[in-house]
Amino acid sequence: MLSCKEVATRASALIDGELSTWQALQMRLHLAMCKGCEQFIGQMRTTRDLTEGLPTADTHDEADKDCINAILSQLHERKQ
Amino acid sequence: MSAARAKEAALVKLLAAGDRAAFEQVYNQHNTSLVRVATGIVRSRATAEEVAQETWIAVLKSISGFEGRSSLASWIFSILINKARSRAKREGRSVSFDGAGEDDNLAAAFDGRGRWKNMPELWETLTPERILAGRSVMEHVNAAIEALPPSQRSVIILRAQKGLDADEVCAILGISEGNMRVLLHRARLSVRTALDGLM
Repeated sequence: MLSCKEVATRASALIDGELSTWQALQMRLHLAMCKGCEQFIGQMRTTRDLTEGLPTADTHDEADKDCINAILSQLHERKQ
Repeated sequence: MSAARAKEAALVKLLAAGDRAAFEQVYNQHNTSLVRVATGIVRSRATAEEVAQETWIAVLKSISGFEGRSSLASWIFSILINKARSRAKREGRSVSFDGAGEDDNLAAAFDGRGRWKNMPELWETLTPERILAGRSVMEHVNAAIEALPPSQRSVIILRAQKGLDADEVCAILGISEGNMRVLLHRARLSVRTALDGLM
């Protein structure tokens, strides 16, 4: 049976669906008997969800308008 | 051509024609992430902002040569990575994205038989809006990403946050798909450890 350390190493592969059927079954067997690993996998799933699928920190304000103006004017100068 | 690719092709045409609104749209979509990826490579926010600005100038100068063989985002990030690497090289540093020498932060969590020393606990519901230690969960997530080594930071931003295809991320960073998966896993472990410390 897999150790907790081996389960932790394969956690992302499991939640991303990258394990073979046999590997996934070995993980599920361990998780059925190990509350710590089950909770760890839950934490990794939450972490994955929080780091993807959400709006990124790409925000914009007046400073960005200034940057856009600077980029466009530099481009214009270089073309001349 | 897929609807997304057709939309992107139309956007590229507008950029090539010098359409300011199209440029603002692409800039607003990617600039913060460009600066965040570059900061990991050049180690200074101010220099990273310069590198991002140089990237945008290069993008607009060469947009008519963009052939759509990759996504526009992938092409823009490739230019950024090259510029940031050149800048780091000029400062006497070489930046590699293979993650060599980096370890995951879980090694000490297990005993000699590979069992948890301290069992992970169930997290209470974590939503992006939830406030922990005076900051929203997303602020903690972003701070944890900022603290990652450049390789892990680049992979998690490009693959997880910007949603680029795995093969595009590998091509941009010059790494194998296996390597990218290891880096993404290590990045998640670090973010998970940061969040666990707040619970």
